[in-house]
Amino acid sequence: MFRKVLIANRGEIALRVCRTLRAMEIPSVTVYSDADRAAPHAEAGDESVRLGPASPADSYLNATALLEAARSTGADAIHPGYGFLSQSAPFARACRDAGVVFIGPSPESMERLGDKVSSRRSAARCGVPVVPGVEGIENAAGARAEADRIGYPVLLKAAGGGGGRGMRRVDSAGDLDAAFESARREAAAAFGDDRLFVEKLVEPARHVEIQILGDGKDAIALGERECSLQRRYQKVIEESPSPAVDAKRRAAMEEAAVHLAQDAAYAGAGTVEFLLGPDGAFYFLEVNTRLQVEHPVTEMRFGLDLVRAQVEIAAGGGLPHPGRPEGFAIEARLNAEDPYHGFVPQTGRILLLSWGTGPGVRVDAGIAEGQTIHAHYDSLLAKVIAHGATREEARTRLIAALRHTALLGLVTNQGFLLDLLEDEAFRTGRTFTRTIESRRWPGPEAPPDEAVLAASIALSAPPRSAGPGERDDADRWSPWRLLGSWGRA
Amino acid sequence: MSRAVALRWNGLPVEARISRKGDHAVLETGERRVEAVIAREGAWIDLAIGGRTLRAATARDARGIWVALEGRLYRFETLHRHAGERVDADDSGEVLAPMTGRVAAVEARAGATVREGDLLLTIEAMKMEFKVSAPASGVVRDVACAPGDRVELGQLLARIAPAAPVAGGDREGP
Repeated sequence: MFRKVLIANRGEIALRVCRTLRAMEIPSVTVYSDADRAAPHAEAGDESVRLGPASPADSYLNATALLEAARSTGADAIHPGYGFLSQSAPFARACRDAGVVFIGPSPESMERLGDKVSSRRSAARCGVPVVPGVEGIENAAGARAEADRIGYPVLLKAAGGGGGRGMRRVDSAGDLDAAFESARREAAAAFGDDRLFVEKLVEPARHVEIQILGDGKDAIALGERECSLQRRYQKVIEESPSPAVDAKRRAAMEEAAVHLAQDAAYAGAGTVEFLLGPDGAFYFLEVNTRLQVEHPVTEMRFGLDLVRAQVEIAAGGGLPHPGRPEGFAIEARLNAEDPYHGFVPQTGRILLLSWGTGPGVRVDAGIAEGQTIHAHYDSLLAKVIAHGATREEARTRLIAALRHTALLGLVTNQGFLLDLLEDEAFRTGRTFTRTIESRRWPGPEAPPDEAVLAASIALSAPPRSAGPGERDDADRWSPWRLLGSWGRA
Repeated sequence: MSRAVALRWNGLPVEARISRKGDHAVLETGERRVEAVIAREGAWIDLAIGGRTLRAATARDARGIWVALEGRLYRFETLHRHAGERVDADDSGEVLAPMTGRVAAVEARAGATVREGDLLLTIEAMKMEFKVSAPASGVVRDVACAPGDRVELGQLLARIAPAAPVAGGDREGP
C-alpha cells in the first residue's frame, strides 16, 4: 500500500478522497492555491502544500508544482479527483516518469478512451453503437458540410474533454459559424485542445451512464446512473437506478461498458456514458476516465467506497467484489449560481451554513462558514445525496434534507433543486436532457410572507453581521453597497 | 401600531406592514394577515404560525438580509433614502459585468447600431462562457473592455446610447 497520497484537487472531492485515505490509515497531502488558503480542503490533509496563485494554470493544473509537492512530502501516489488533471494523459505520464503512482488508468488507456475521437473508434470496433457524426472537424465550413449530411439539429463537441465545455447545440445552418468559433474557443481555453466534432442530436434523450472498475485485465460494471437533468450540459440531479432502464437493457449497457474497458486494458474507476433514445436504443457518448462527481449514488446503492477501490487497484490489489445493489439513490448538486437568471455564477462570503440531515442522507461538501466563494473555479459547492428503499423514499428524503439546509451569503441553486425534485417530470421519472432548458423556471414571484416576517425581525436586531473589516472584496461593486445601504437598519 | 417593513426584494419595496408585541408578530399585506409566535436563537428564527413551526435562518451583509426558509433563499435589501427607486442599469445605457470573470470575446464595436438582446460580448467565469447582450436598442457609445481583460462584478463594460422612442401613431393606436 502507499506510504502517502497527494490529492491534486480542491473542494468537496479533495475532502471526499481525504476521508477515505483516513479510513485506510494512509497519510494524505492536500494542496491549495492562494485563493483557497482558507478553504476547508487546504487544512484537510495530514500535510498541506501551497501550489501557487489562484489561476488554475498556476495551481491545480500546474503539473510541475504538483509533482514537486509530492516529492517534497514524500507522497508516492497522486489522486487526481475529477476535473483539472484527472483526465490528462501527459500528467499521468509525468507522474510515472517521476516515480509517483497516478491513481487512475494508464496514460495509454486514457488516450484511447478519454479522447472523444479515439473512444468513438474503440466503441465502433467493440460493436458498441455510436451516434452518427464525424470527428476532427477543422473549420466551420467542414462542420457545415457534415451537419448538412447528417441533418440538423447537431451537436458540436470538444474532442479533448467533457462537462459541457466546448459543446454547442446547433439548430440550423445559420447558427453554425458562430457556434463553431465559440465552442472552439471554449474548448481551447478549457482543455488546451480546440479539436471539435459534429454529431447528430438524439432527441428526446436520456443520459444514462455505467460505472466501471477495471484492474488492467478484467473489468466489472456497477449499474447505471441516470443524469438527464442537466443545464448547459452540466448535470444537476443524478440517480440510480434509472427509471427508464430495465434489467435487459442494463445488462446490454453493462456488457458494452465492460467490453470497452477490457479492450483498453482499463485500470481504475471510469464511467461509460450513453444516450438513451426515445425508442430505447442506446448510443455510446464518451468515457470519463476518472471518478465522477456523481459517484456517491452508486456507492450508496452498492455499499462500496469507490475511492478505496481506486486506491486498492492502483496499489495492485485487484477488483472489489460488490454485493447486489440495494434501493434507490438520488444526488443533488448545490451550485453557486443563480438558476432563475441564466445560471450566472455567484460569489460571496458564506455567512451561515447548516446542513439538513436524516436517515439515508449524505452530504459531500467542500465549504465552510466564513469562506469566500470566488469565481476562479467551478461553481459546485456540495452534493446532497439520499438513499431509500424506494425511489419515492429517496426523493422525499432528499427534499427534506434540502429543506432543512441553510446557506446564506450568496445565491445558490438550492430552491431550484427543490423545484426539480418536486416537479411532475422528476416525480414520475420522465426526465430528458432538455427537460431543464426546454422550460421556464421563473423562481418565486414574491417572497413568502414568512420570509418577510423573518427578515423584518432580523432587521430589528441583527443577530449576525459581517463587520466592515470582514467585507467580501467581491462585493466592492455590489449595487446595494454603492447605494450606501450597507449597515442601515 | 404597525409599521411598513423596511425591505426591498428584487429592487422593489416589499408592500407589507408589521407589528410586534412581545414574542407575537403580525404581518399584514393588502390581502393577507400572518400571525406568528417568534422564538430567536442566534441566527435562527422560529415562526409558530397556526399549528406549525417554520425555522428560518437569517444573516446580514453588505448585500442585505439573507433568509433561508424551507430550503429556499431570499435576499432582501434594506430600504434606503431613495426608497421606491428601481435599481436599473438599463436607463443609463451602461452595461455592467454580471459577474467577475475574464472577457473571452467582444462583438460590440463603438458606433455600431444594436438591437435589444444583441450579443455584445462574452465573459468566461467558472470555466463557462456567458453572453452579455444589449439591454436596449441603440448605438454603442463605447466599449470599455477587451478580450482577455479580467472584469469585476459591476464593472462598466460598454455604454449604449438608447435609440429614440419610435415616433408616430404606432403606440397610441386609433
